[in-house]
Amino acid sequence: MTDQITFPDVVTLAVPFFIAAILAEFLWIHISGRGGRYETRDALTSLIMGAGNVASGLVLGFIAWGFFMVLWRVTPLDLGTSWPIIGLCFVLDDLRYYWVHRFGHRIRWVWASHVNHHSSQHYNLTTALRQTWTYTFTFMMVVRAPLILLGFHPALVLFCGGLNLIYQFWIHTEAIGRMPRWFEAVMNTPSHHRVHHGRNARYLDANYAGVFIIWDKLFGTFVPEQDAEKVDYGLVVNLGTFNPLRVAFHEWVAIFRDMAQPGLSLRQRLMYAVAPPGWSHDGSRDTTAGIKAKHLARHPEGRGSAGFTDG
Amino acid sequence: MPLHVLLPLVVLGIAGITALLHLLGHSRQVVIRDADDAARMWRHHWPEDDVQSAQVAQDGHAALVQTAQGVGLVWALGADTSARLLTGATLAPCGAGLRVRLRDFTAPTVTLHLRPDEARAWQTRIEGHAP
Repeated sequence: MTDQITFPDVVTLAVPFFIAAILAEFLWIHISGRGGRYETRDALTSLIMGAGNVASGLVLGFIAWGFFMVLWRVTPLDLGTSWPIIGLCFVLDDLRYYWVHRFGHRIRWVWASHVNHHSSQHYNLTTALRQTWTYTFTFMMVVRAPLILLGFHPALVLFCGGLNLIYQFWIHTEAIGRMPRWFEAVMNTPSHHRVHHGRNARYLDANYAGVFIIWDKLFGTFVPEQDAEKVDYGLVVNLGTFNPLRVAFHEWVAIFRDMAQPGLSLRQRLMYAVAPPGWSHDGSRDTTAGIKAKHLARHPEGRGSAGFTDG
Repeated sequence: MPLHVLLPLVVLGIAGITALLHLLGHSRQVVIRDADDAARMWRHHWPEDDVQSAQVAQDGHAALVQTAQGVGLVWALGADTSARLLTGATLAPCGAGLRVRLRDFTAPTVTLHLRPDEARAWQTRIEGHAP
C-alpha cells in the first residue's frame, strides 16, 4: 500500500478564483440590474460560513483522514493514480456526493449540518460558500469507505471531492439562465441547482446532484426548473437572524431540544434525530410529503406536474 | 496554500466584498409598503395562514399581522423579511422603540424602530393578545 501520495488542496487554491468570480457576478448584477440579488449582511454571513468551513476542515479534518487511512491499510486493493483511475474516481465520488446530499435532506441528523447551505433567501455565488461547520459530526465520511476499500487512495478521493465542490461553485447563480440542451441533459447547471435551493413545495427535495444531473434522473429525484414558477430561495421556515453561530448550529439545537422533551419513548427521541426533517411524534409538523400534500390541497391543478408526480 | 497566505486572502476578500456591497447601496432594508404588502409577506412565509389585518410601522421595516393563530410580526431582514407568531414573546422598551424577544433560537431578538407613541400602541396590542 502506498501511503505517501499527495494531491493539491484544490479548494484553498481556488479561493482567489472564488473572490474574483463573486466580484464579477456582483458587478454584473449591480451594473446591469439583472441576474440576481446581493445584500450586504446576507453575503457577509455566507462568506463567514465559508471561512468557518475551511477552518473546521483544518481543525477536524484529521478525523476523516484517520478513518480513511485505516481503511486504506485494510484494503488489499490499490488502483493507483493513472488518469483513467482519476476520472473513474471523480465519477464514483460524484455518485457518493449524490447520496450524501440526499441523506442530507432526508435524515435530520445530516440536515442539521447541511441546512445552513440553504438558509439564505438569496442565490448568488456567495451562497455557494455558505457551507457547514459540522460535517464531521454527521459521520457521512463512511459513505466514502467503499471508494477507499475499492482501491482509490484517500488523497485521490479527497482531491476528487475538492474538484466536485469547485464545480458546484459556479452553479449558484441567477446570472446564467440555461446552458445548451446537451449540457443541461448531463451536467448539473445553475437552472437545475436553483430548483434544489427552492422552498416552493414543487421544488422541495429535488436535484441532489453535484456534477452530473444524471444521478437525479436515474434515481427519480429530478425536477426541471419551471418558467411559470420562479424559485423562492431559502428554508421552509426562514431564519430571522444573520448570526453565523445561529446559522451553523440552529438545527442541532432544535434536534436536542426535541429529543429532550419529556414523556417521549426512546424510539420517538431517536426519530427526532434520524427521521426526515419535519417529522414529529404528534404529527404537529410537516415533512416534505406533508407540505406537498397541503400545497396540492390548495392548488389541485398542480397534481401530476413536475415535482408533484407522487401527489 | 500556506496558512500565512490563505488567512489574509480570506480576511481581505471578505472585508473587501462586504465594503463594496455596502458602499454601492446593497445594505438597504426592504420596505413594507402597506397592509396588503405585509399580508403578502406573511403568507410568503406561512402560506396556509389567513391574514385578517395588518399594521405597518411608520418606518416600513416591520408590521404586526393578525392571523387566526394569533398576532404575528413581519420584519425586515436585510433585503428580505422574516415572520413569526408572537406567542410567548417578551417585550421591552428600548432606545430605538421596542425590543421583542422571541422564544426561537433562529430568531431570538427583533429590535423595532418605532416612535414613542407607536411603541406604546404596539406593546399594548401585542400584550393584549398574550395568552
